[in-house]
Amino acid sequence: MHPIVVTITSGKGGVGKTTCAANTGCALALLQKKVVVIDGDIGLRNLDIVMGLENRIVYDSVDVIEGRCRLRQALIRDKRAPELYLLPTAQTRDKTAISPQQMVQLCDELRKEFDFIIIDSPAGIEQGFHTCLAPANRVLIVTNPEVSSVRDSDRVIGLVESQEKGPAHLIINRLVKSRVKRQEMLSMEDIVEVLSTEVIGVVPEDENILMSTNRGHPVALNGQTPAAMAFHDIARRLSGEDVPLQVQQSTSFIKRLFGRG
Amino acid sequence: MITIKGLREGLLIVFGEEPWLIQMHELEGKLEANAHFFKGGRIALDAKSLVLTVDDLQRVIALLTKYEVNIWAILAQNEITSARAQKLGLATTIATPPREAARQDNGEPAEEYAVGSPEAEGTDGLLVRRRVRSGQVLRHPGHIVVIGDVNPGAQLIAGGDIIVWGKLQGLAHAGALGDPNAVICALELAPNLLRIADAARSSLSVPKREHNKHPEMAKIDHQEIKIVAWQEK
Repeated sequence: MHPIVVTITSGKGGVGKTTCAANTGCALALLQKKVVVIDGDIGLRNLDIVMGLENRIVYDSVDVIEGRCRLRQALIRDKRAPELYLLPTAQTRDKTAISPQQMVQLCDELRKEFDFIIIDSPAGIEQGFHTCLAPANRVLIVTNPEVSSVRDSDRVIGLVESQEKGPAHLIINRLVKSRVKRQEMLSMEDIVEVLSTEVIGVVPEDENILMSTNRGHPVALNGQTPAAMAFHDIARRLSGEDVPLQVQQSTSFIKRLFGRG
Repeated sequence: MITIKGLREGLLIVFGEEPWLIQMHELEGKLEANAHFFKGGRIALDAKSLVLTVDDLQRVIALLTKYEVNIWAILAQNEITSARAQKLGLATTIATPPREAARQDNGEPAEEYAVGSPEAEGTDGLLVRRRVRSGQVLRHPGHIVVIGDVNPGAQLIAGGDIIVWGKLQGLAHAGALGDPNAVICALELAPNLLRIADAARSSLSVPKREHNKHPEMAKIDHQEIKIVAWQEK
């Protein structure tokens, strides 16, 4: 299997790109893949916090690009999974610190050692996004089931297509089945009707995510929670497995099913 | 006389034989009269055999900039003019030969036509067979036909008619070069904003309605844009 660079992006901020990048990376690593997750949001770094690796940063991707360290030195090994690494970014710089060409070179270097290179892209459609898009083999767009998020995803999908990086795939994040049923929230079908883009995963709203993010322990590492299961499905689909798409049931539904409170 | 054509990369403004200053005046008139059509557009100029000085070139760039038009290329038969354009950072070739820009399945070159008569037989148009997404703009002096949906946030700006074989959301401006007889048709008409020539109708006056999932046509009737169902005869 050729190494795959997966860029995870969205037009709108706050839809869960970093959560999706961290958890997809963890889930792939638990499938015995060699994985590196790259924080592409230069100047606003978060991925290290979500993964609980903040205190271990010595060097970052900008140090590598500017020759202050070797790539190996900047990679942080996450010991909770067999082969999972983080390449953090600089907090004190801005998006101009790495050009698209430099990002391509960096990923070419990483391809020699890894099966999956996951890039957590910044929100927006400016240079930071284009830098993260440049090396991508696959682009995953994170969208929430709400109109403004879908609109921005549409814009980004158009840009991905115009850069000939398509077809992009969708991660629908924070879906609440009961609210879809009450027609308070867009359904997967509603979103696909507007975007006509293949869905690679539907991540249900999961109260465990907030805690796991704050504690730096991605749910996918040991989770049987609905969201964790969704990320494991996404990882298997990225690895080429044919996993039928189904929206994971919420915990309360399972509890009801077994007659326990 | 100036003619305007559509390219895959944007618009092409072709100059005629008349003296430069007269044609510059004509260009300004067209930009002024059709500001909606040109605004935000990407254009190339074909100077044909005209010999232009750096000053001439700078003036036309300034004129286009004033109307918020981005110029990216100047084509010229004259080598000196071409070299001067290059010095100003402009391209001097375009990837698509102009005649291929208008897709005609029979392989015949698209007809040239004067601005303001898009309904004439044999005029060119732009056929797009895909979904037009938010932020994407299709601009053509002739007709625009989209086979696919036009999403909210997308824009279609045509000198002639607009036909959408799909759901039209977003903005559609037909007759954008001043033709009040232009029409907008869609299998499902649910736009943010409709414009025909100088008339406009916002989505506020086109309320979301379930029963509009049938083909409709928008046209000007007594200075107002009216929407009528497409009736089977």
